[in-house]
Amino acid sequence: MTAQKREARAVDASPVRGDSPAITGAGMTAFANADDRSLLELLLVAAERALDDADRDPAGVDSVHVGNMAAEAFNERSGLANALVGGLGMTGVTARRIENTSASGASAFQSAVAAVASGRSDRALAVGGEKMSAADTATATEIISRITHDREYEQGVTLPSFGGLAAAAYLRGSDADRRDLARVAVKNHANASSNEYAQFRKRIAVDDVLASPAVAEPLRLYDCCPTSDGAAAVLIESGPAESDDAVRVAACESATGTHAVADRADPLEIESVRTAGERAYDAAGFGADAVDIACIHDAFTILEWLEMEELGLAPAGRAWELTRDGETDLDGALPVNPGGGLKARGHPLGATGISQVIELVWQLRGDLPDERAVDGAARGLAVNVAGFGNNAVCTLLEGDA
Amino acid sequence: MTDLLECRDCGHRTYYEKHRCLECGGAEFDAVPAGNGELLSVTTVHVTPEGVREPNALGLAAFPGGANVVAQLDEELSIGDEVRLVGDRELRVTEDGPLWGVRIAAAE
Repeated sequence: MTAQKREARAVDASPVRGDSPAITGAGMTAFANADDRSLLELLLVAAERALDDADRDPAGVDSVHVGNMAAEAFNERSGLANALVGGLGMTGVTARRIENTSASGASAFQSAVAAVASGRSDRALAVGGEKMSAADTATATEIISRITHDREYEQGVTLPSFGGLAAAAYLRGSDADRRDLARVAVKNHANASSNEYAQFRKRIAVDDVLASPAVAEPLRLYDCCPTSDGAAAVLIESGPAESDDAVRVAACESATGTHAVADRADPLEIESVRTAGERAYDAAGFGADAVDIACIHDAFTILEWLEMEELGLAPAGRAWELTRDGETDLDGALPVNPGGGLKARGHPLGATGISQVIELVWQLRGDLPDERAVDGAARGLAVNVAGFGNNAVCTLLEGDA
Repeated sequence: MTDLLECRDCGHRTYYEKHRCLECGGAEFDAVPAGNGELLSVTTVHVTPEGVREPNALGLAAFPGGANVVAQLDEELSIGDEVRLVGDRELRVTEDGPLWGVRIAAAE
């Protein structure tokens, strides 16, 4: 922790009050390997589902915050926010797109929450989406690898490359074995099997993970999230919420890390996640021990462990034990990624952060069928990460359990 | 370019060009020889972008002065090995021609 870092301040931290922003509507498209609909159509469907859920008309919305990473590259288009409000028949609203790579969704959510918390907006709509199937795998890999530092890019480094380096170091430095890491993917697939919005509804076994093709050793294909098409939206309103089942936004905070991953002193540290988490706990007035349920950015299995440790949801170097002991299962002490996570729900870059928030909303409101509900959850955490920790957004939600 | 960038104000080193030092905010850097480092982790990547060797063996190495580097391995190496940076390697082919840079090799 250097002097410069100590001096860094959260610029948009807001104290949580009884009238903190509430999520009054949530809706998403089912995430898919390939969806025939255009990106704009996906965004429109998600937005309308969120408005319907809140029983609100588009005319009542005064700001729109669209999360998307790379429509120019994947879909050869821009101007998403203006096209979206046009499609919803809205004029005269404040609208913009927010780009923060794979955390674009949570950054759009943070923007909407800040708009409501500051009083600038009474009803803010956050919509995130990505349509990645328009590009072949090689092109998609290239687009995503373009977020790296030039010195990383020239080495041919990809996001899974960082995952492989981190996983190799973690397995070497702990008593966890390769099968324990596979259990993260097995659990997330099991959770997705009953989620009608998930891309992969197939249960898998540890041996399936170990038999899948190597991607970045020791990581294999089944350790890595897929590319996806999908969109997700939530409506945020100033409190106190009129509806009985609104979920309060206790905190939404973010922090950057180093851009070049190797500029971190320890390859297993993701300081952006730690700082965003600390700021969120401070703003919410409760800590990791009060979290009942968590949506963690598991782009790779190893990230579920590293982020849990950074967020204080597991002791340093020990998250693997929680996985092995079933503590993170749906019926465990701390269910992690009950909707399937990025691994099995899917990862349409700009939609993911909002889909995590939606999963928490559904769980906290008690909307879900028994086979996929976490009993009695009152407080939820979501963390959405840009790149391999370039930037992180941590959200804490409270229901009326 | 097998050198590292050393902050003129605080001495912290980095391999990754930036306008300001991550440690102290200093804006002046001097190129210094990297010397020998230690390999902290390795991976072999089997799905690589176009123009990049496949498989691509990568390492994360720690050098004196706080500088870590992720780079292609120039030979087979293991975690804990003493390593150095070697230059003038063709790292990937792009539409604009090849990109040349450093790899990680065993210390001499």
